[in-house]
Amino acid sequence: MAIIVIAEDEYLLATMLEAILEDENHEVRMAPHGVAALKLVRAHKPDLLITDFMMPLMTGLELAQAVREDPEISAIPILLVSGAQGSIGRAHPEAFDAVLDKPYDPARLVAAVNELLSD
Amino acid sequence: MTEYLPRIAAGIPGLDAVLGGGFVDGASYILQGQPGAGKTILANQIAFEALRAGRKVLYITLLAETHDRLFQSLSTLDFFDKERLGNGIVYLSVFQTLKDEGLSAVVSLLRQETRRQQATLLIFDGLLNARDRAETDIDVKTFVAEVQSQAAFVGCTVLFLTSARLADQSPEHTMVDGVIELYDELVGMRSARRLQVRKSRGSGALGGYHQFEITSSGICIYPRLESSLSHPSIPDMPSAKRISTGIEGLDELFLGGIPSGSVTLLLGSSGSGKTSLGLDFLSESSAAEPGMLFGFYETPERLLIKADALGISLREQVEQGAVYMRWQPLTENLIDKLGHRLLEEVRARGIKRLVIDALAGFERACLYSPRLIEFFAALCNELRALDVTTIVTWEKDSSAGSGAPGPELYSLIDNLVTLRQVPRRSGVTRSIALLKVRDGAFEPALHEFVIGTTGLKVAFPVDYPSNSLSISENSGL
Repeated sequence: MAIIVIAEDEYLLATMLEAILEDENHEVRMAPHGVAALKLVRAHKPDLLITDFMMPLMTGLELAQAVREDPEISAIPILLVSGAQGSIGRAHPEAFDAVLDKPYDPARLVAAVNELLSD
Repeated sequence: MTEYLPRIAAGIPGLDAVLGGGFVDGASYILQGQPGAGKTILANQIAFEALRAGRKVLYITLLAETHDRLFQSLSTLDFFDKERLGNGIVYLSVFQTLKDEGLSAVVSLLRQETRRQQATLLIFDGLLNARDRAETDIDVKTFVAEVQSQAAFVGCTVLFLTSARLADQSPEHTMVDGVIELYDELVGMRSARRLQVRKSRGSGALGGYHQFEITSSGICIYPRLESSLSHPSIPDMPSAKRISTGIEGLDELFLGGIPSGSVTLLLGSSGSGKTSLGLDFLSESSAAEPGMLFGFYETPERLLIKADALGISLREQVEQGAVYMRWQPLTENLIDKLGHRLLEEVRARGIKRLVIDALAGFERACLYSPRLIEFFAALCNELRALDVTTIVTWEKDSSAGSGAPGPELYSLIDNLVTLRQVPRRSGVTRSIALLKVRDGAFEPALHEFVIGTTGLKVAFPVDYPSNSLSISENSGL
């Protein structure tokens, strides 16, 4: 079991992600925007951060950069799950460990999560 | 002295005219309509037009379809540009914030995001959800007031979208500067999309319904012609100039040609020669004074074959660009789209001779027939102001139209010409007579009208029973 923080402003997607990961026996913490996600990451030091790109208050890239700049949490793997901004994510390998394009099927998500957790 | 509020062009065809010049800068509007009415398309089209105009857009949603699903449906529309997502236009969902923390947290988040994104257009999709979260009407009012005041403070225009049909006295309506409603209704067997500006604070919008359609280009609104052209767009400067009809002998009946910039109604039964006369009239067009046929029945090629058979030199005129033929099939048309298209063509091509074949094409496209008079009045006034000499045909006993124009229509047109088929022992002959030429004398005698292989000709006077030419007799009134 791993602790995973999800930063996703879209409620339907967030609850779906939460359900998929809980089915895999992970403990999930949800944040509706980047600022809340950063607080959760600092507080819980999760095993994985999954983030959307377009979010209120802080983009997924800004969130990832903030995590990387904080020595206490900089090593946490980050998965970007995004639609149109996947290419931006791939252009920032220093920020994201992996990029998953929307729409995705649950099996691909689980596979990506397991790969990042096993690293 | 009258002050005019600064405006922002919506960039949607027809919408700026309906709004009286666009959205008022920094104002807030409600865009409402039942699901499927076109709100989301219109809002996104406005968003992308604003983006192209160099503005930054913040598109906020509450619980609805996911953004990816929204983008998928928008991807079929020309205005949508996936590459711009996150680059000048940002889509954010605030449902979780609303759910977990309430309206005040949403207001706070919107304030921060508007500034962060430097947005000058905020679209808030989901006013109904916000209303559901409110405990009292005061909460709704407070929410709307706070969002719009914060937005106005940074010069941001706000569009609130809702699928509810909010009452005029609802707290939301009382707070915002404008209310735009979209409708999609059945009229008979067909669908009719309409837009109405139900509230427009501090600006003169065009009231009433305006038809619109959704195509791959997005939404195109056609302001009601009689409201958008309640007065001609340019001053009417009538002249005493006469122009040749091109038909041998007809200029003489007009005592020197048809008055320039006049509207002539050509009334006759099927086969009486209306279209042929119109084609011959157009054959007098030139590059300097081009002509146009705006027809509903025969295709341009069929009309050219007809002209060839009658010895009317129209094909060459068309090939040289002196005559333009616009065929509009008599299927499901929008009357205001037809009217605006016709005038756009006239203005763009500098048309000076126009044949509309036939007026019934507009009548069939009219979903509310009592307005046909006002529509045609606006059309005629604009054509006169543009100095377009126009011939409009009307088929007596038409199965497409009602059979006869109403008496008010006769007062709108300048000249009235009737064509008849007259059965005789030797066969059917045709006759022509002028019944009205506005502000001018004319030759009232009935004449034989000859359509042969070498053109059309008004021949000798003929004598038929005197009562056969009254308007009521010929028009069926």
